Amino acid sequence: MGYRVGVDVGGSFTDFAVLDEGSGELLALKVFSRPDDPGAEILQGLGQLQSRDGVSPGEISYFTHGTTVGVNTVIQRSGPPLALFTTRGFEDVLEVARLKIPEINNLYSRRPAPLIPRDRVFGIAERIGADGAPQILPDREDVATQVEKARVSGAVGVVIAFLHAYRNPAHEEAVRDMLAELAPDLPVVTSSGTWPVIREFERTVTAVISGYVRPRVAEYLDRFEAALASAGATVPAHITKSNGGVMALSQARAEPVQMILSGTASGVIGAGFLARECGFDKVLSLDIGGTSADVAVILDGTPQFGTGELIGEFQIHIPSVAVTSVGQGGGSIAALDPLGVLTVGPESAGSTPGPACYGRGGTRPTVTDAMAASNLIGHGALGYGAVSVDHDAARSAIEPLAVGLGASVESVASSIVDIAVSSMYAEVSGLISRFGIDPREFHLFAFGGAGAMLACFLARELDMKGVVVPQRPGVISALGGLIADLRNDFIRTLFVDVDAAGVAKLAAPLAELEATGRAWLADQGHDGAVSVAVSADMRYEGQSFEIEAPLEAGWITAADVGAIAGAFHAEHRRLFGHANPGAPVQLVNLRLVVSGPTPKPKIPKPPRATAPAAPERQVTGWFGGVAHDVPLYQRAALLPGHEIAGPAIVGQEDTTTVLPPDFTLNVDEYGNLVLTRSDRTGGDQHD
Amino acid sequence: MIDARSLQVLANFCNAAADAMAYTLMRTAHSAFVKETEDFSCQVVTRDGLAFGNPRHLGAPWYSGVDYGGLLAMFPDYAEGDICITNDPEAGHVATHTPDIHIWKPVFFEGTLTCFVVGHIHNTDVGGAVPASLSRSLSEIAQEGIRIPPVKLYDAGVENPYIAKLIRTNVRLPDQNLGDLAAQIASVNVGERKMREIIRRFGLDTFLQGVEAILDHAEAQARRALSRVPDGEYFFADYADEDSPNGLPARVALTLRVKGDEVELDYSGSDPQLGSSLNMPTGGLERHALVMVGLTYVLATLERGIWLNSGTLRAARAILPEGTVVNSAPGAAVGMRSLTCALTQIVTQGAFAQAVPELMPAAAPGGNAIMNIRTAARNGKPAMASIGPVGGGGGATPFADGSDGAGGTTGFLRNTPIEISEAEVPIHFLRYGLEPGTGAPGRWRGGLSAVMEFRVSAPETVVTARNRNRSIMPAWGLQGAGEAGVSRFIRNPGTPEEENLGNTDLVRCNPGDVIRVVGPGAGGWGDPFRREIERVVADVKRGAITADAAERDYGVVLRDGEVDAAATEALRSAPRPDPSTYTYGAERREFESVWTRERYDLMTEFLAQQPVSWRFYLKHRIFAAVAEAGADAPVKGQMREIFGRLCARHGLDVPEAFA
Repeated sequence: MGYRVGVDVGGSFTDFAVLDEGSGELLALKVFSRPDDPGAEILQGLGQLQSRDGVSPGEISYFTHGTTVGVNTVIQRSGPPLALFTTRGFEDVLEVARLKIPEINNLYSRRPAPLIPRDRVFGIAERIGADGAPQILPDREDVATQVEKARVSGAVGVVIAFLHAYRNPAHEEAVRDMLAELAPDLPVVTSSGTWPVIREFERTVTAVISGYVRPRVAEYLDRFEAALASAGATVPAHITKSNGGVMALSQARAEPVQMILSGTASGVIGAGFLARECGFDKVLSLDIGGTSADVAVILDGTPQFGTGELIGEFQIHIPSVAVTSVGQGGGSIAALDPLGVLTVGPESAGSTPGPACYGRGGTRPTVTDAMAASNLIGHGALGYGAVSVDHDAARSAIEPLAVGLGASVESVASSIVDIAVSSMYAEVSGLISRFGIDPREFHLFAFGGAGAMLACFLARELDMKGVVVPQRPGVISALGGLIADLRNDFIRTLFVDVDAAGVAKLAAPLAELEATGRAWLADQGHDGAVSVAVSADMRYEGQSFEIEAPLEAGWITAADVGAIAGAFHAEHRRLFGHANPGAPVQLVNLRLVVSGPTPKPKIPKPPRATAPAAPERQVTGWFGGVAHDVPLYQRAALLPGHEIAGPAIVGQEDTTTVLPPDFTLNVDEYGNLVLTRSDRTGGDQHD
Repeated sequence: MIDARSLQVLANFCNAAADAMAYTLMRTAHSAFVKETEDFSCQVVTRDGLAFGNPRHLGAPWYSGVDYGGLLAMFPDYAEGDICITNDPEAGHVATHTPDIHIWKPVFFEGTLTCFVVGHIHNTDVGGAVPASLSRSLSEIAQEGIRIPPVKLYDAGVENPYIAKLIRTNVRLPDQNLGDLAAQIASVNVGERKMREIIRRFGLDTFLQGVEAILDHAEAQARRALSRVPDGEYFFADYADEDSPNGLPARVALTLRVKGDEVELDYSGSDPQLGSSLNMPTGGLERHALVMVGLTYVLATLERGIWLNSGTLRAARAILPEGTVVNSAPGAAVGMRSLTCALTQIVTQGAFAQAVPELMPAAAPGGNAIMNIRTAARNGKPAMASIGPVGGGGGATPFADGSDGAGGTTGFLRNTPIEISEAEVPIHFLRYGLEPGTGAPGRWRGGLSAVMEFRVSAPETVVTARNRNRSIMPAWGLQGAGEAGVSRFIRNPGTPEEENLGNTDLVRCNPGDVIRVVGPGAGGWGDPFRREIERVVADVKRGAITADAAERDYGVVLRDGEVDAAATEALRSAPRPDPSTYTYGAERREFESVWTRERYDLMTEFLAQQPVSWRFYLKHRIFAAVAEAGADAPVKGQMREIFGRLCARHGLDVPEAFA
């Protein structure tokens, strides 16, 4: 028996979640991140775990870790100069992108400059058809000429992305093999090896990002491994993935794009796990930090997956936990427009200079300042003592707006919160429509430093069932990494008709995918149970897009045409409200997700309350510009069975929960705060 | 009560409803034109039809100020659960060509009609004479596919099944149309639900008052932007290459009158209604969305953060003389009104370039070819696909190069991936990307044009490149920029059979034929000899221009890739012509040496007084007469003489002014 450790390295803090395999108990720890010396925070944390909890590094049996090093490389554009090899005639794929410009109403708008400029893009004379058949074979001499040009251009690595490589990777692989001989010093990334899906720009840009972040990720992983070893931890480490799973460091080095969204994905996985364990089957996770606010849809503990998640100015197209940014977090700046109308964002004070009330140089009023000026936050140390709130500074920052509007500071503060929440509402509405869900059936699961501060306001606008604030909102991402399964996605583009002849062609590729998947799991050092999920992208003949429908492997081995087509008709009906069971169906891609489950901690149930909750003290707080006597509770004093009518504030070291006057708080058996609108009726019926 | 503190809250909510409609549409639509290209719109409009909620980043940006009033008034009353539909350009002046199927749904709250949720999808095909329903060559609206008059598709929640049957019977790809229609219905249903939630949250009276405040705020923002534009009268005109197949130039003329915080867009002097499909069916409405697109772009560019809705347009009015290309009479073909609409955007930008030269970019060239192909699969089944737009880049701005491939007013469409097109239809692409040398030289360079080249594999293949333009007269530049190039449409390039397809927008192909389309060049901004040498060198390195062009157009001499400083200095220190506001191509200069503004104005004034059905014919006769007579005689007398002769021959009245 030992300890399983999950670590999430964020911009400001590094969180540890530790599972004691013997007792099933969960420990948490937070230390400052060390962007100046990556790995140092790991050493410090492991040291503290040993001194505080007696966890010796040698006893660590499993280690997962999430980092933002990849995403930062893209945002800061600090990757190396790379060359891109495309099919000749299509060298402008990155420049043209999908043609649309970012601001469609602005005559000055331009697309972001690609990570590989046009003078380091080289066309190779090769071609594969849409049916996967080779038409023009790549020629070694041509490749040699192009790689020489690439060297002259200063490239230190090559990304290969050819047309229709999703259908047949042979040419990308052939050129990769040529490069291994011609230029063994240049690392190579292929688009088919990154994620083989149709749409050349999306596949190419994803491969480019993978190549672009690889050197810095590799360097980081080296330092990280060295840090672990020097601390005496001997277990092979794992890295959390954008798809919500984990992988061994070897895959992280080879496919760094897989870890690029690991932090946000882990948060959603952690939220999903806790939500399911605590009996919340439909939740929207809400993670608000200083510079971002992210929402994800979680059904029965399972997040939704998608592609096209935003990394800086670019989208990546690999299977990822679908997370939508809904604002800039607590740092959004409030201002009066030239006509005197109050606006909030899109400008953000970020974490530097930050809100005025943090006293780190910020002077302009932010959403966090509005909460401080309303006296709803800052009644204890935030961020484990790293941040203190200066209420006067918050009020001073808002004062000019109040003068301009002829209103009190408190009422303007309330309007700032309303506006910030309304723009989050707007973004969440888009997300809801994209997934076709009804928010009235959902709880908002709030975490991150500011999630619990704003959650009730947003839940009210969306008429949601309620808000859940877990016991340790700060450690959700680390927990998510800790409990994430080993998980990898596989896809094979087939283009077969769903009839007897076509379905007979599925068994062999499925067996190959499954064998590859099981081999991948074994490579990761997994020897436990294996779970395999099969699905297919299908469409009606003549339809210009596919939808993914879950399948059972048995249907394919039994060549059950009816079951496979039926799954598609059912999914089509679910998405569009209609289906055409008589029409011929085509299967475009076969997909397989393999996962190896990891042990999960028990969620402890605190003892039930034996006496009513007692507030620490009363403060004067403003809601809607109206002063209220607001009781202030310490989170540790709230036990299962407690019920508190709003208004109230609950303080804890990693967040502040704000309970508006029209909400009621209940502590459930797991110690979660469950906040519901006292007068909620459920709204009108879903169409 | 909605006030300055809470206005953005309500506006965010209303835009969120429109966003939700757009996302629902994109999630559930069937055609690539919606899913890949994003040619659709969604709005929330007042009970009078004025748009006040728009999606923020999705769909076509032409309709932010749309007025559904004409359509809403088609029915004396509405019941909860009604959904109305039309694509008829001659009913209500909202649909402006047949592929745009509009639907609208009333939103009731506790029995009171509160607003409407509306939207349209550009359907790939609605039947008619040509695949995809649109070609410049069509001459009457009856050739442009099925027209559905305004009708209740759902009457108090009960579907009228006849409409779907009618569509299915009359179009080429019925499953796609009906799939898209289902998506539109889902979209307005989501919009209705969202709006009800919003009205419940704010209360009916507050909501209704707040909507007016949203429109008022947008109006105030627009007026603030306009008040910074110097008062004055600014005339600008531009031409469609041909008013009909192998025809004459067609002029769109604009007199922009700025006074205080108001603006008048007077389109008098624009061509008469044409015998091709370039006509815009605006009904002469003084704030018709189609003639306000350019103004909306200008305002959104001059006033960052401006709210775009019907209120934005209140400070503007347009003058749209009847029987002209900007206000055609019933019966006229209108399918290619987007080509003409692009010209209205271009002349609006051109006129503002006189008023605020330090802020206005050169216009995107227009003529953004929307490529469609109808061919046959190997199994003989017909196959049809929209394979994406091929146009010019964005015009250069006073601060930066134009956006490559698309930009400015043409930057909202997405392309169709090559891999999707090749999987959909049996064609083989040889090239897709940016065409070197196509951005006009300037202190800031015009964006590069897109280029697409593909080979067809089946007989009886029809390729349409609708919306093509600028194959004769190139786009203009600003403040001393160099000249732009023209668009090209070529069959079998680089072979003995090479054929220049000219300005056509439809070509029938045989197996093995290669089609190449290059978008028109985009205008530059400022004297190219003042462009930084490093930028010129970078352009050569990335293949945007050749070394020869660097020397000829930019005065930068390169020897083996290195700048020859002395030679460059010698070229660049020579005197430069004074920069003129506009740079025109040789073709336009030559045309205008005969067809001066005075001459063209005389003609449009004369034609305005003739019966609409005569105007297109008379225009062609007048052009023929001028060609014969030459341009040496005094213009006024010569034109009067020509008008008199024509009237006499055809028994028409000579207008008093020309007697």
